[in-house]
Amino acid sequence: MTAIIEARNLSRWYGNVLGISEINLEINPGITALLGPNGAGKSTFMKILTGQLKANIGEARIFGEKVWNNRRIFSRLGFCPEDDAFYEDLSGLEFLSGLLSLYGFSQAESRQKASQALDLVELADVADRQVRSYSRGMRQRIKIAQAIAHDPEVLILDEPLSGLDPLSKRRIIKLIKEFKNAGKTIVISSHILPEVEALTSEIVLIHQGKIIARGDIYFIRDLIDTHPHMIRIKSAQYRQLATTMAGEDYLLKMAFEPEDQAVVFETHDRDRFFNRLNELLLSSPLAIDEITSPDDNLQAVFDYLVGK
Amino acid sequence: MTTEIKRVFSFYFFLKKKSSRTKIFFLLSSAAILLALVIRAYRLAGHWAENSQIIFQNILMVFFLQFLIIILALFYGTSIVPEEMEGKTWPYLSSRPVSKAAIIIGKYLSSLAVTSIMLVSSLLLSYFILNLDRDFQLKDIWTVVSYSLVLLLGLAAYLSFFTFLSTWLAKPILLGLAFGFGWENVIQYFPGTTQKLSIVHYLKSLLPQYASASGRLSFLFIRLEPTRDWLAVLILLLITVVFLGLAALLFSYKEYLIQD
Repeated sequence: MTAIIEARNLSRWYGNVLGISEINLEINPGITALLGPNGAGKSTFMKILTGQLKANIGEARIFGEKVWNNRRIFSRLGFCPEDDAFYEDLSGLEFLSGLLSLYGFSQAESRQKASQALDLVELADVADRQVRSYSRGMRQRIKIAQAIAHDPEVLILDEPLSGLDPLSKRRIIKLIKEFKNAGKTIVISSHILPEVEALTSEIVLIHQGKIIARGDIYFIRDLIDTHPHMIRIKSAQYRQLATTMAGEDYLLKMAFEPEDQAVVFETHDRDRFFNRLNELLLSSPLAIDEITSPDDNLQAVFDYLVGK
Repeated sequence: MTTEIKRVFSFYFFLKKKSSRTKIFFLLSSAAILLALVIRAYRLAGHWAENSQIIFQNILMVFFLQFLIIILALFYGTSIVPEEMEGKTWPYLSSRPVSKAAIIIGKYLSSLAVTSIMLVSSLLLSYFILNLDRDFQLKDIWTVVSYSLVLLLGLAAYLSFFTFLSTWLAKPILLGLAFGFGWENVIQYFPGTTQKLSIVHYLKSLLPQYASASGRLSFLFIRLEPTRDWLAVLILLLITVVFLGLAALLFSYKEYLIQD
């Protein structure tokens, strides 16, 4: 079976700056997440898929057709851009029905579909308010509404969960999953692993314009778990804590920060480390002020994976 | 493509009707009405005896022809592409099933419609404020209609040229200003065929009263070597079609980047 979305040797530069390089990817129905730190090339890839950018080398196809300057495929595709940009003078309903009219729907159909989409993202009660008066979360939700309003077969969502409060996030995740269950193809980008985990197990890791890994969430988790984690603990008894932990075989390094009364541990087994820490806290009078992970972000993991 | 153009036109006409820019330019175009009211009041008080047709021609030549149609075309035309890029709304358009040529032509037509309403309403009202009296004749209606048609032709030509600039340059406003208020003003004072390299030349050729214009501002109207009416209309239409075509063509093949 031919994939819904295909990228063949897709490369794109901005002058001397690399956007993406030799991306080969086939995407089938279901949710596929592009995971990577900011500037990894996720948005460039999505812009090529939505006809905003032309690839310098290679080609992108959706439903077997080339994307660039091919308006036929856009009636089957919905796109939620990353930028917080709108026609601010319009109300939510006008914004949606105006964009829907570009698909050729009549005025009545456009308004009906716009109202349905606003219902789905729970913005029906503010449909007549100008978009400029919407909160960050509401603006994010109306962006999603304009992508789904015409019931497309393919949804391309660039960082759709950013700026949403936890409740809205849960609702949008549910909505995206409903689209998946309806047999649609969804491509979603994010730089936050837990967000992606909540949505799908099909993950493509992108870094510096290249796909560095592709697999299900367990494969990616395994990759990430081989990355040594840093854990910083602030406590008045930080030296005593370090002495107690020093004998553990999963500990790779320790460093003291006496000015902050803190110790930084480096471990390749975070689960065992925290189990031991919990035991210590229960069995001894150790008092801990703060636990942080200085490198617990995707950038650090990616740097590790590409061998920096 | 016609249906796509209609869709884009409807959406943007609605959008422009609601925009604050339209409100500002509507106020600006109403300046002629205010001026006409002031002059009418002044005349009623018996201070200004000059023929009201000539007073109106002066307003027509200075305010409408050399200022209003240029400023409207400049601000609406040069923003057709940059407003989408700077406002970052381009992805909403580029991911819709409408061709890029239809986007340009639809947006052009919506701008033309909005600016035409401003222009014609202001022109008609100011004309009638100045001329609606006992001497008013039915043929005067044809006079003001012909003025309106000439100005609309000019608006269409300028708007088309500025639309082309907006598809070509990232910041077209400066070149547009230099063209609209520099080149177009200066070149009409040149004798011979040089003045035919401007849009305003053909517009002035189409205003019959112009050749015999008199009044306080008549010094502005010297040195015109008019082109025949039919040829002037043809050239203005040609300018409109050629630049709009070029804009649609360029926009279809050029790639536009949203700057972060």
